[in-house]
Amino acid sequence: MSSAPPLQMTGGRVRFDGREALSGVDLRVGAGEFLAVLGANGSGKSTLVRALLGLVPLSGGRTEIYGVPPARFRDWKRVGYVPQRLPAGGGVPATVREIVASGRVARRSRWRPASSADRAAVDAALRAVGLADRARDSAHLLSGGQQRRVLIARALAGEPDVLVMDEPTAGVDAASQAALAAILRELAGRGRTVVLVAHELGPLEPLIDRCVVMEHGRVAHEGAPPPPAWSRAAQAEDPHHHGPREGARSDEIGMRAG
Amino acid sequence: MLDMLQYDFMRIALVSAILIGVTAPAVGTFIVQRRLSLLGDGVGHIALTGIGLALLTGTSPLLGALVVCVLGAVAIEVLRARSRSGGDVALAVLFYGGLAGGVLLTNREGGGASLQAYLFGSITSVTARDLYVVAGLAVVVLGIVLVFGRELFLLCQDEEVARTAGLPVRFLSVLIAATAAVTVVIAMRAIGLLLVSALMVVPVAAAQQVTRGFRGTMLVAMGVGVLSAVTGLAGSFQYDLPPGPSIVLLALAIFLAAVVGGSVVRRRRTVPAPVPDEARAGATAEAEVRGG
Repeated sequence: MSSAPPLQMTGGRVRFDGREALSGVDLRVGAGEFLAVLGANGSGKSTLVRALLGLVPLSGGRTEIYGVPPARFRDWKRVGYVPQRLPAGGGVPATVREIVASGRVARRSRWRPASSADRAAVDAALRAVGLADRARDSAHLLSGGQQRRVLIARALAGEPDVLVMDEPTAGVDAASQAALAAILRELAGRGRTVVLVAHELGPLEPLIDRCVVMEHGRVAHEGAPPPPAWSRAAQAEDPHHHGPREGARSDEIGMRAG
Repeated sequence: MLDMLQYDFMRIALVSAILIGVTAPAVGTFIVQRRLSLLGDGVGHIALTGIGLALLTGTSPLLGALVVCVLGAVAIEVLRARSRSGGDVALAVLFYGGLAGGVLLTNREGGGASLQAYLFGSITSVTARDLYVVAGLAVVVLGIVLVFGRELFLLCQDEEVARTAGLPVRFLSVLIAATAAVTVVIAMRAIGLLLVSALMVVPVAAAQQVTRGFRGTMLVAMGVGVLSAVTGLAGSFQYDLPPGPSIVLLALAIFLAAVVGGSVVRRRRTVPAPVPDEARAGATAEAEVRGG
Protein backbone atom coordinates (compact mmCIF):
# COMPACT_ATOMS: atom_id res chain seq x y z
CA MET A 1 0.00 0.00 0.00
CA SER A 2 1.38 3.36 -0.95
CA SER A 3 1.08 6.38 1.31
CA ALA A 4 -0.27 8.62 -1.48
CA PRO A 5 -3.89 9.73 -0.86
CA PRO A 6 -6.63 7.86 -2.77
CA LEU A 7 -7.60 11.00 -4.70
CA GLN A 8 -5.86 14.34 -5.00
CA MET A 9 -6.49 17.26 -7.35
CA THR A 10 -4.32 20.36 -7.58
CA GLY A 11 -5.58 23.43 -9.45
CA GLY A 12 -7.94 21.25 -11.50
CA ARG A 13 -9.61 22.97 -14.45
CA VAL A 14 -12.12 21.53 -16.92
CA ARG A 15 -13.54 23.30 -19.97
CA PHE A 16 -16.64 22.23 -21.92
CA ASP A 17 -17.13 24.06 -25.22
CA GLY A 18 -15.30 27.15 -23.98
CA ARG A 19 -17.21 27.27 -20.69
CA GLU A 20 -15.22 26.56 -17.58
CA ALA A 21 -16.92 23.79 -15.57
CA LEU A 22 -14.13 23.54 -13.00
CA SER A 23 -12.01 26.61 -12.31
CA GLY A 24 -9.05 25.65 -10.20
CA VAL A 25 -10.07 23.09 -7.63
CA ASP A 26 -7.72 21.80 -4.92
CA LEU A 27 -8.99 18.71 -3.18
CA ARG A 28 -7.36 15.94 -1.24
CA VAL A 29 -9.33 12.87 -0.18
CA GLY A 30 -7.51 10.99 2.57
CA ALA A 31 -7.62 7.23 3.10
CA GLY A 32 -10.69 6.18 5.08
CA GLU A 33 -12.32 9.57 4.68
CA PHE A 34 -16.03 9.95 3.92
CA LEU A 35 -16.42 13.06 1.77
CA ALA A 36 -19.66 14.55 0.46
CA VAL A 37 -19.60 16.86 -2.58
CA LEU A 38 -22.65 19.12 -2.48
CA GLY A 39 -23.95 21.85 -4.72
CA ALA A 40 -26.77 22.97 -6.98
CA ASN A 41 -27.33 21.65 -10.50
CA GLY A 42 -24.55 22.82 -12.80
CA SER A 43 -22.24 23.75 -9.91
CA GLY A 44 -19.60 21.32 -11.16
CA LYS A 45 -19.93 18.61 -8.52
CA SER A 46 -20.39 15.76 -10.98
CA THR A 47 -17.63 17.14 -13.19
CA LEU A 48 -15.34 17.22 -10.17
CA VAL A 49 -15.70 13.53 -9.31
CA ARG A 50 -15.56 12.50 -12.96
CA ALA A 51 -12.36 14.52 -13.38
CA LEU A 52 -10.93 12.92 -10.24
CA LEU A 53 -11.28 9.53 -11.99
CA GLY A 54 -9.94 10.76 -15.33
CA LEU A 55 -13.32 10.39 -17.08
CA VAL A 56 -13.19 14.07 -18.01
CA PRO A 57 -9.84 15.44 -19.24
CA LEU A 58 -8.35 18.38 -17.34
CA SER A 59 -7.51 21.56 -19.22
CA GLY A 60 -5.23 22.64 -16.40
CA GLY A 61 -3.82 21.45 -13.10
CA ARG A 62 -3.34 17.82 -12.20
CA THR A 63 -5.15 14.99 -10.52
CA GLU A 64 -3.85 11.72 -9.12
CA ILE A 65 -5.29 8.40 -7.98
CA TYR A 66 -3.04 6.90 -5.31
CA GLY A 67 -0.30 9.23 -6.53
CA VAL A 68 -0.57 8.33 -10.23
CA PRO A 69 -2.29 10.38 -12.99
CA PRO A 70 -5.46 8.54 -14.21
CA ALA A 71 -4.01 7.93 -17.69
CA ARG A 72 -1.11 5.97 -16.20
CA PHE A 73 -3.00 4.46 -13.25
CA ARG A 74 -3.19 0.65 -13.46
CA ASP A 75 -4.48 -0.51 -10.09
CA TRP A 76 -8.16 0.04 -10.98
CA LYS A 77 -9.35 -2.83 -8.80
CA ARG A 78 -8.88 -0.40 -5.88
CA VAL A 79 -11.46 1.99 -7.39
CA GLY A 80 -15.23 1.59 -7.58
CA TYR A 81 -17.34 4.07 -9.56
CA VAL A 82 -21.13 4.28 -9.25
CA PRO A 83 -22.62 6.33 -12.11
CA GLN A 84 -25.90 8.21 -11.81
CA ARG A 85 -28.00 5.75 -13.74
CA LEU A 86 -28.12 2.45 -15.56
CA PRO A 87 -28.01 3.27 -19.29
CA ALA A 88 -30.62 1.42 -21.32
CA GLY A 89 -28.30 1.12 -24.32
CA GLY A 90 -29.85 -0.82 -27.18
CA GLY A 91 -32.33 -2.52 -24.86
CA VAL A 92 -30.69 -5.92 -24.54
CA PRO A 93 -31.79 -7.06 -21.08
CA ALA A 94 -29.29 -7.95 -18.37
CA THR A 95 -30.06 -9.69 -15.10
CA VAL A 96 -29.20 -8.05 -11.79
CA ARG A 97 -26.58 -10.74 -11.22
CA GLU A 98 -24.97 -10.26 -14.64
CA ILE A 99 -24.54 -6.55 -13.98
CA VAL A 100 -23.23 -7.02 -10.45
CA ALA A 101 -20.83 -9.77 -11.59
CA SER A 102 -19.36 -7.41 -14.21
CA GLY A 103 -18.01 -5.38 -11.29
CA ARG A 104 -15.48 -8.18 -10.73
CA VAL A 105 -13.90 -7.63 -14.14
CA ALA A 106 -10.92 -5.67 -12.76
CA ARG A 107 -10.09 -8.56 -10.43
CA ARG A 108 -10.50 -11.42 -12.88
CA SER A 109 -8.30 -12.85 -15.59
CA ARG A 110 -10.04 -12.95 -18.95
CA TRP A 111 -8.74 -16.48 -19.48
CA ARG A 112 -10.20 -18.05 -16.34
CA PRO A 113 -13.80 -18.79 -15.41
CA ALA A 114 -15.27 -17.25 -12.25
CA SER A 115 -13.60 -18.50 -9.07
CA SER A 116 -15.46 -19.25 -5.86
CA ALA A 117 -14.08 -15.96 -4.49
CA ASP A 118 -15.69 -14.13 -7.44
CA ARG A 119 -19.03 -15.78 -6.82
CA ALA A 120 -18.83 -15.14 -3.09
CA ALA A 121 -18.08 -11.42 -3.67
CA VAL A 122 -21.05 -11.12 -6.03
CA ASP A 123 -23.33 -12.89 -3.53
CA ALA A 124 -22.13 -10.64 -0.72
CA ALA A 125 -22.67 -7.49 -2.81
CA LEU A 126 -26.20 -8.61 -3.71
CA ARG A 127 -26.98 -9.30 -0.06
CA ALA A 128 -25.49 -5.97 1.04
CA VAL A 129 -27.94 -4.03 -1.15
CA GLY A 130 -30.83 -6.37 -0.33
CA LEU A 131 -31.34 -7.63 -3.88
CA ALA A 132 -30.28 -11.27 -3.50
CA ASP A 133 -33.86 -12.38 -4.26
CA ARG A 134 -33.95 -10.30 -7.46
CA ALA A 135 -30.64 -11.62 -8.84
CA ARG A 136 -32.25 -13.34 -11.82
CA ASP A 137 -34.61 -10.52 -12.73
CA SER A 138 -34.02 -8.09 -15.55
CA ALA A 139 -32.37 -5.02 -14.01
CA HIS A 140 -34.18 -2.63 -16.34
CA LEU A 141 -37.56 -3.69 -14.97
CA LEU A 142 -36.65 -2.70 -11.39
CA SER A 143 -37.60 0.60 -9.79
CA GLY A 144 -35.23 3.57 -9.96
CA GLY A 145 -34.09 3.06 -6.38
CA GLN A 146 -33.48 -0.63 -6.93
CA GLN A 147 -31.46 0.13 -10.07
CA ARG A 148 -29.21 2.44 -8.03
CA ARG A 149 -28.67 -0.39 -5.61
CA VAL A 150 -27.71 -2.67 -8.51
CA LEU A 151 -25.08 -0.12 -9.60
CA ILE A 152 -23.77 0.15 -6.03
CA ALA A 153 -23.62 -3.64 -5.76
CA ARG A 154 -21.62 -3.76 -9.01
CA ALA A 155 -19.03 -1.43 -7.47
CA LEU A 156 -19.06 -3.35 -4.16
CA ALA A 157 -18.48 -6.66 -5.97
CA GLY A 158 -15.06 -5.37 -7.02
CA GLU A 159 -14.15 -4.86 -3.33
CA PRO A 160 -12.64 -1.42 -3.95
CA ASP A 161 -10.68 0.66 -1.45
CA VAL A 162 -12.19 3.91 -2.67
CA LEU A 163 -15.79 4.24 -3.79
CA VAL A 164 -16.90 7.23 -5.87
CA MET A 165 -20.67 7.67 -6.16
CA ASP A 166 -22.46 10.16 -8.39
CA GLU A 167 -25.77 11.17 -6.77
CA PRO A 168 -26.78 7.78 -5.37
CA THR A 169 -29.67 9.36 -3.46
CA ALA A 170 -31.31 11.50 -6.15
CA GLY A 171 -34.88 10.42 -6.83
CA VAL A 172 -34.62 7.40 -4.53
CA ASP A 173 -37.49 6.49 -2.20
CA ALA A 174 -37.03 6.68 1.57
CA ALA A 175 -36.66 2.91 2.01
CA SER A 176 -33.85 2.75 -0.56
CA GLN A 177 -32.17 5.78 1.05
CA ALA A 178 -32.20 4.07 4.43
CA ALA A 179 -30.79 0.89 2.84
CA LEU A 180 -28.07 2.97 1.19
CA ALA A 181 -27.19 4.62 4.50
CA ALA A 182 -26.83 1.18 6.11
CA ILE A 183 -24.50 0.00 3.31
CA LEU A 184 -22.35 3.12 3.56
CA ARG A 185 -22.17 2.89 7.36
CA GLU A 186 -20.78 -0.60 7.01
CA LEU A 187 -18.23 0.51 4.38
CA ALA A 188 -17.11 3.42 6.53
CA GLY A 189 -16.79 0.99 9.43
CA ARG A 190 -14.40 -1.10 7.35
CA GLY A 191 -12.23 1.95 6.66
CA ARG A 192 -13.14 2.37 2.98
CA THR A 193 -12.77 5.77 1.40
CA VAL A 194 -16.04 7.15 0.04
CA VAL A 195 -16.66 10.20 -2.14
CA LEU A 196 -20.32 10.93 -2.63
CA VAL A 197 -22.01 13.54 -4.82
CA ALA A 198 -25.39 14.61 -3.49
CA HIS A 199 -28.07 17.24 -3.67
CA GLU A 200 -29.06 16.68 -0.07
CA LEU A 201 -27.69 14.30 2.50
CA GLY A 202 -30.79 13.04 4.28
CA PRO A 203 -30.09 9.89 6.32
CA LEU A 204 -26.45 9.87 5.12
CA GLU A 205 -25.59 13.02 7.03
CA PRO A 206 -24.28 11.40 10.25
CA LEU A 207 -21.76 9.38 8.20
CA ILE A 208 -20.04 12.34 6.54
CA ASP A 209 -16.58 13.39 7.77
CA ARG A 210 -16.21 16.39 5.51
CA CYS A 211 -18.26 18.36 3.01
CA VAL A 212 -17.23 20.25 -0.09
CA VAL A 213 -19.85 22.62 -1.47
CA MET A 214 -19.35 23.46 -5.15
CA GLU A 215 -20.50 26.68 -6.73
CA HIS A 216 -19.71 27.88 -10.28
CA GLY A 217 -16.93 25.34 -10.64
CA ARG A 218 -15.18 26.35 -7.42
CA VAL A 219 -15.10 25.02 -3.90
CA ALA A 220 -17.34 27.52 -2.07
CA HIS A 221 -17.29 25.83 1.31
CA GLU A 222 -15.24 23.08 2.83
CA GLY A 223 -15.50 21.63 6.30
CA ALA A 224 -17.96 20.01 8.64
CA PRO A 225 -21.31 18.88 7.25
CA PRO A 226 -23.93 21.63 7.24
CA PRO A 227 -26.75 21.22 9.79
CA PRO A 228 -29.64 18.93 8.87
CA ALA A 229 -31.73 21.93 7.82
CA TRP A 230 -29.25 22.49 4.99
CA SER A 231 -31.15 22.76 1.76
CA ARG A 232 -30.71 24.14 -1.70
CA ALA A 233 -32.41 27.37 -0.62
CA ALA A 234 -30.18 27.80 2.41
CA GLN A 235 -27.14 27.08 0.31
CA ALA A 236 -28.12 29.75 -2.20
CA GLU A 237 -28.43 32.31 0.59
CA ASP A 238 -25.34 31.43 2.58
CA PRO A 239 -22.93 28.96 1.05
CA HIS A 240 -20.35 29.61 3.78
CA HIS A 241 -22.56 28.42 6.55
CA HIS A 242 -20.75 26.21 9.05
CA GLY A 243 -22.83 23.70 10.92
CA PRO A 244 -22.36 23.24 14.70
CA ARG A 245 -21.54 19.57 14.28
CA GLU A 246 -18.04 19.27 15.74
CA GLY A 247 -19.08 17.40 18.88
CA ALA A 248 -21.34 14.98 17.09
CA ARG A 249 -18.67 14.36 14.52
CA SER A 250 -15.91 13.38 16.91
CA ASP A 251 -18.36 11.03 18.58
CA GLU A 252 -18.98 9.38 15.26
CA ILE A 253 -15.30 9.06 14.49
CA GLY A 254 -14.61 7.70 17.94
CA MET A 255 -17.27 5.06 17.50
CA ARG A 256 -15.93 4.12 14.11
CA ALA A 257 -12.37 3.75 15.32
CA GLY A 258 -13.49 1.55 18.21
CA MET B 1 -36.74 -31.73 -47.52
CA LEU B 2 -33.97 -34.21 -46.75
CA ASP B 3 -33.28 -34.78 -50.44
CA MET B 4 -31.45 -31.46 -50.48
CA LEU B 5 -28.68 -33.22 -48.58
CA GLN B 6 -27.96 -35.37 -51.63
CA TYR B 7 -26.26 -32.42 -53.25
CA ASP B 8 -22.75 -31.44 -52.32
CA PHE B 9 -23.43 -27.72 -52.71
CA MET B 10 -26.44 -27.97 -50.43
CA ARG B 11 -24.48 -29.76 -47.72
CA ILE B 12 -21.88 -26.99 -47.90
CA ALA B 13 -24.65 -24.40 -47.90
CA LEU B 14 -26.27 -25.97 -44.86
CA VAL B 15 -23.08 -25.97 -42.79
CA SER B 16 -22.42 -22.40 -43.83
CA ALA B 17 -25.99 -21.41 -42.87
CA ILE B 18 -25.52 -22.93 -39.41
CA LEU B 19 -22.22 -21.07 -38.93
CA ILE B 20 -23.88 -17.79 -39.93
CA GLY B 21 -26.87 -18.48 -37.71
CA VAL B 22 -24.61 -18.97 -34.70
CA THR B 23 -22.03 -16.20 -35.19
CA ALA B 24 -24.09 -13.26 -36.48
CA PRO B 25 -26.45 -13.04 -33.47
CA ALA B 26 -23.59 -13.69 -31.00
CA VAL B 27 -21.77 -10.58 -32.19
CA GLY B 28 -25.08 -8.85 -32.83
CA THR B 29 -26.03 -8.94 -29.14
CA PHE B 30 -23.09 -6.67 -28.30
CA ILE B 31 -23.64 -4.53 -31.38
CA VAL B 32 -27.31 -3.95 -30.55
CA GLN B 33 -26.60 -3.10 -26.89
CA ARG B 34 -23.90 -0.64 -28.04
CA ARG B 35 -26.43 1.04 -30.36
CA LEU B 36 -24.39 0.17 -33.43
CA SER B 37 -27.13 -1.76 -35.22
CA LEU B 38 -26.24 -0.15 -38.53
CA LEU B 39 -22.51 -0.92 -38.23
CA GLY B 40 -22.99 -4.20 -40.09
CA ASP B 41 -24.76 -2.33 -42.88
CA GLY B 42 -21.88 0.10 -43.22
CA VAL B 43 -19.28 -2.64 -43.22
CA GLY B 44 -21.34 -4.48 -45.83
CA HIS B 45 -21.16 -1.47 -48.15
CA ILE B 46 -17.43 -1.20 -47.65
CA ALA B 47 -16.97 -4.92 -48.31
CA LEU B 48 -18.03 -4.38 -51.89
CA THR B 49 -14.92 -2.34 -52.55
CA GLY B 50 -12.87 -5.22 -51.18
CA ILE B 51 -14.58 -7.64 -53.53
CA GLY B 52 -14.03 -5.25 -56.43
CA LEU B 53 -10.35 -4.95 -55.59
CA ALA B 54 -10.04 -8.72 -55.30
CA LEU B 55 -11.70 -9.29 -58.69
CA LEU B 56 -9.41 -6.66 -60.20
CA THR B 57 -6.24 -8.21 -58.79
CA GLY B 58 -7.36 -11.82 -59.21
CA THR B 59 -7.25 -12.71 -55.53
CA SER B 60 -9.98 -14.38 -53.50
CA PRO B 61 -13.03 -12.12 -53.02
CA LEU B 62 -13.41 -13.50 -49.51
CA LEU B 63 -9.91 -12.39 -48.59
CA GLY B 64 -10.30 -9.00 -50.26
CA ALA B 65 -13.57 -8.40 -48.44
CA LEU B 66 -12.05 -9.52 -45.15
CA VAL B 67 -9.10 -7.11 -45.32
CA VAL B 68 -11.16 -4.13 -46.47
CA CYS B 69 -13.99 -4.84 -44.01
CA VAL B 70 -11.72 -5.02 -40.98
CA LEU B 71 -9.89 -1.84 -42.04
CA GLY B 72 -13.25 -0.14 -42.66
CA ALA B 73 -14.64 -1.19 -39.28
CA VAL B 74 -11.55 0.09 -37.50
CA ALA B 75 -11.86 3.39 -39.41
CA ILE B 76 -15.54 3.67 -38.40
CA GLU B 77 -14.67 3.06 -34.75
CA VAL B 78 -11.86 5.63 -34.81
CA LEU B 79 -14.15 8.21 -36.46
CA ARG B 80 -16.88 7.47 -33.93
CA ALA B 81 -14.56 7.91 -30.96
CA ARG B 82 -12.84 11.01 -32.36
CA SER B 83 -15.77 13.21 -33.22
CA ARG B 84 -19.10 12.99 -31.47
CA SER B 85 -20.81 15.32 -33.93
CA GLY B 86 -19.05 14.94 -37.29
CA GLY B 87 -18.84 11.15 -36.98
CA ASP B 88 -22.26 10.69 -38.55
CA VAL B 89 -21.32 12.39 -41.81
CA ALA B 90 -17.92 10.71 -41.87
CA LEU B 91 -19.63 7.34 -41.61
CA ALA B 92 -22.01 8.16 -44.47
CA VAL B 93 -19.06 9.20 -46.63
CA LEU B 94 -17.34 5.90 -45.90
CA PHE B 95 -20.50 3.86 -46.66
CA TYR B 96 -21.27 5.50 -49.99
CA GLY B 97 -17.62 5.57 -50.98
CA GLY B 98 -17.43 1.84 -50.32
CA LEU B 99 -20.61 1.07 -52.27
CA ALA B 100 -19.78 3.30 -55.25
CA GLY B 101 -16.19 2.07 -55.37
CA GLY B 102 -17.34 -1.52 -55.25
CA VAL B 103 -19.91 -1.14 -58.02
CA LEU B 104 -17.38 0.69 -60.20
CA LEU B 105 -14.64 -1.88 -59.68
CA THR B 106 -16.85 -4.95 -60.18
CA ASN B 107 -18.40 -3.35 -63.26
CA ARG B 108 -14.96 -2.83 -64.76
CA GLU B 109 -14.40 -6.54 -64.48
CA GLY B 110 -17.70 -7.22 -66.21
CA GLY B 111 -19.00 -8.81 -63.04
CA GLY B 112 -22.59 -7.57 -63.16
CA ALA B 113 -23.97 -11.02 -62.36
CA SER B 114 -21.52 -11.62 -59.54
CA LEU B 115 -22.32 -8.17 -58.15
CA GLN B 116 -25.94 -9.25 -57.87
CA ALA B 117 -24.85 -12.43 -56.09
CA TYR B 118 -22.77 -10.48 -53.59
CA LEU B 119 -25.46 -7.90 -52.90
CA PHE B 120 -28.32 -10.32 -52.32
CA GLY B 121 -26.58 -13.59 -51.60
CA SER B 122 -26.21 -16.86 -53.39
CA ILE B 123 -25.51 -19.55 -50.88
CA THR B 124 -25.24 -22.20 -53.55
CA SER B 125 -22.10 -20.54 -54.91
CA VAL B 126 -20.14 -21.28 -51.73
CA THR B 127 -17.28 -23.62 -52.55
CA ALA B 128 -15.72 -26.19 -50.22
CA ARG B 129 -12.64 -23.95 -49.90
CA ASP B 130 -14.82 -20.96 -48.99
CA LEU B 131 -16.43 -23.11 -46.34
CA TYR B 132 -13.10 -23.83 -44.67
CA VAL B 133 -12.30 -20.12 -44.55
CA VAL B 134 -15.79 -19.30 -43.23
CA ALA B 135 -15.53 -22.04 -40.58
CA GLY B 136 -12.12 -20.73 -39.50
CA LEU B 137 -13.48 -17.20 -39.22
CA ALA B 138 -16.51 -18.43 -37.25
CA VAL B 139 -14.17 -20.09 -34.75
CA VAL B 140 -12.24 -16.82 -34.41
CA VAL B 141 -15.46 -14.83 -33.82
CA LEU B 142 -16.84 -17.26 -31.24
CA GLY B 143 -13.44 -17.42 -29.54
CA ILE B 144 -13.39 -13.64 -29.20
CA VAL B 145 -16.92 -13.64 -27.75
CA LEU B 146 -15.93 -16.36 -25.29
CA VAL B 147 -12.65 -14.80 -24.12
CA PHE B 148 -13.58 -11.11 -24.18
CA GLY B 149 -17.31 -11.50 -23.53
CA ARG B 150 -17.25 -10.26 -19.93
CA GLU B 151 -15.24 -7.18 -20.80
CA LEU B 152 -17.35 -6.46 -23.89
CA PHE B 153 -20.48 -6.81 -21.75
CA LEU B 154 -19.32 -4.10 -19.36
CA LEU B 155 -18.13 -1.92 -22.25
CA CYS B 156 -21.56 -2.16 -23.90
CA GLN B 157 -23.33 -1.50 -20.58
CA ASP B 158 -21.41 1.63 -19.63
CA GLU B 159 -18.18 2.78 -21.26
CA GLU B 160 -17.21 5.04 -18.34
CA VAL B 161 -17.59 2.30 -15.77
CA ALA B 162 -15.53 0.07 -18.06
CA ARG B 163 -12.80 2.71 -18.00
CA THR B 164 -12.82 2.93 -14.20
CA ALA B 165 -12.53 -0.87 -14.13
CA GLY B 166 -9.24 -0.44 -16.00
CA LEU B 167 -10.48 -2.09 -19.20
CA PRO B 168 -8.67 -1.25 -22.47
CA VAL B 169 -11.72 0.60 -23.78
CA ARG B 170 -10.24 1.70 -27.08
CA PHE B 171 -8.90 -1.76 -27.89
CA LEU B 172 -12.21 -3.41 -27.00
CA SER B 173 -14.18 -0.92 -29.12
CA VAL B 174 -11.99 -1.68 -32.13
CA LEU B 175 -12.19 -5.40 -31.35
CA ILE B 176 -15.99 -5.49 -31.37
CA ALA B 177 -16.12 -3.47 -34.62
CA ALA B 178 -13.53 -5.73 -36.27
CA THR B 179 -15.39 -8.84 -35.08
CA ALA B 180 -18.57 -7.47 -36.62
CA ALA B 181 -16.64 -6.96 -39.86
CA VAL B 182 -15.45 -10.57 -39.84
CA THR B 183 -19.05 -11.68 -39.26
CA VAL B 184 -20.17 -9.70 -42.30
CA VAL B 185 -17.59 -11.57 -44.38
CA ILE B 186 -18.77 -14.92 -42.98
CA ALA B 187 -22.35 -14.17 -43.96
CA MET B 188 -21.90 -12.21 -47.18
CA ARG B 189 -21.89 -15.15 -49.59
CA ALA B 190 -25.11 -16.64 -48.32
CA ILE B 191 -27.19 -13.69 -47.16
CA GLY B 192 -25.80 -10.93 -49.35
CA LEU B 193 -24.06 -7.75 -48.27
CA LEU B 194 -27.24 -5.68 -48.19
CA LEU B 195 -29.00 -8.11 -45.85
CA VAL B 196 -26.10 -9.30 -43.70
CA SER B 197 -26.73 -7.04 -40.76
CA ALA B 198 -30.35 -8.21 -40.56
CA LEU B 199 -29.10 -11.50 -39.18
CA MET B 200 -26.98 -9.65 -36.62
CA VAL B 201 -29.86 -7.50 -35.40
CA VAL B 202 -33.23 -9.21 -35.99
CA PRO B 203 -32.61 -12.42 -33.98
CA VAL B 204 -31.40 -10.26 -31.05
CA ALA B 205 -34.46 -8.04 -31.33
CA ALA B 206 -36.61 -11.17 -31.27
CA ALA B 207 -34.79 -12.75 -28.32
CA GLN B 208 -34.89 -9.65 -26.11
CA GLN B 209 -38.70 -9.76 -26.20
CA VAL B 210 -38.75 -12.95 -24.16
CA THR B 211 -35.51 -13.02 -22.14
CA ARG B 212 -34.38 -11.37 -18.89
CA GLY B 213 -30.59 -11.58 -19.15
CA PHE B 214 -27.78 -10.82 -21.57
CA ARG B 215 -26.45 -14.37 -21.83
CA GLY B 216 -29.99 -15.68 -22.28
CA THR B 217 -30.64 -13.14 -25.04
CA MET B 218 -27.47 -14.18 -26.83
CA LEU B 219 -28.26 -17.91 -26.64
CA VAL B 220 -31.89 -17.48 -27.73
CA ALA B 221 -30.76 -15.16 -30.55
CA MET B 222 -28.31 -17.81 -31.74
CA GLY B 223 -31.17 -20.32 -31.72
CA VAL B 224 -33.34 -17.94 -33.75
CA GLY B 225 -30.41 -17.34 -36.11
CA VAL B 226 -29.79 -21.03 -36.79
CA LEU B 227 -33.50 -21.77 -37.08
CA SER B 228 -34.13 -19.03 -39.63
CA ALA B 229 -30.92 -19.73 -41.58
CA VAL B 230 -31.53 -23.47 -41.91
CA THR B 231 -35.29 -23.21 -42.50
CA GLY B 232 -34.82 -20.32 -44.91
CA LEU B 233 -32.24 -22.28 -46.86
CA ALA B 234 -34.43 -25.39 -47.03
CA GLY B 235 -37.37 -23.27 -48.13
CA SER B 236 -35.39 -21.57 -50.83
CA PHE B 237 -34.23 -24.98 -52.11
CA GLN B 238 -37.77 -26.37 -52.06
CA TYR B 239 -39.50 -23.43 -53.71
CA ASP B 240 -36.61 -22.05 -55.75
CA LEU B 241 -36.42 -18.73 -53.87
CA PRO B 242 -33.31 -16.62 -53.26
CA PRO B 243 -31.87 -17.78 -49.91
CA GLY B 244 -30.85 -14.39 -48.40
CA PRO B 245 -34.29 -12.77 -48.47
CA SER B 246 -35.95 -16.05 -47.41
CA ILE B 247 -33.71 -16.30 -44.33
CA VAL B 248 -34.20 -12.65 -43.36
CA LEU B 249 -37.99 -12.77 -43.80
CA LEU B 250 -38.13 -15.87 -41.62
CA ALA B 251 -36.12 -14.10 -38.92
CA LEU B 252 -38.53 -11.17 -39.12
CA ALA B 253 -41.51 -13.54 -38.77
CA ILE B 254 -39.92 -14.97 -35.62
CA PHE B 255 -39.39 -11.42 -34.37
CA LEU B 256 -43.07 -10.60 -34.82
CA ALA B 257 -44.08 -13.80 -33.04
CA ALA B 258 -41.68 -12.92 -30.20
CA VAL B 259 -43.18 -9.43 -29.85
CA VAL B 260 -46.61 -11.00 -29.37
CA GLY B 261 -45.29 -13.82 -27.18
CA GLY B 262 -43.13 -11.42 -25.18
CA SER B 263 -46.00 -9.14 -24.24
CA VAL B 264 -47.89 -12.17 -22.94
CA VAL B 265 -44.85 -13.36 -20.95
CA ARG B 266 -44.32 -9.87 -19.50
CA ARG B 267 -47.94 -9.56 -18.50
CA ARG B 268 -47.65 -12.87 -16.68
CA ARG B 269 -44.43 -11.65 -15.08
CA THR B 270 -45.93 -8.53 -13.51
CA VAL B 271 -46.94 -10.93 -10.72
CA PRO B 272 -43.54 -11.16 -9.02
CA ALA B 273 -43.46 -14.95 -8.91
CA PRO B 274 -40.06 -16.39 -9.84
CA VAL B 275 -40.31 -18.17 -13.18
CA PRO B 276 -37.94 -21.18 -13.35
CA ASP B 277 -35.53 -21.38 -16.28
CA GLU B 278 -37.21 -24.43 -17.81
CA ALA B 279 -40.52 -22.61 -18.06
CA ARG B 280 -38.85 -19.65 -19.73
CA ALA B 281 -36.97 -21.85 -22.19
CA GLY B 282 -40.26 -23.53 -22.99
CA ALA B 283 -41.98 -20.23 -23.67
CA THR B 284 -39.12 -19.21 -25.93
CA ALA B 285 -39.18 -22.46 -27.87
CA GLU B 286 -42.89 -21.98 -28.32
CA ALA B 287 -42.36 -18.53 -29.80
CA GLU B 288 -39.77 -19.97 -32.14
CA VAL B 289 -42.00 -22.79 -33.30
CA ARG B 290 -44.85 -20.39 -33.91
CA GLY B 291 -42.51 -18.23 -35.99
CA GLY B 292 -41.03 -21.11 -38.01
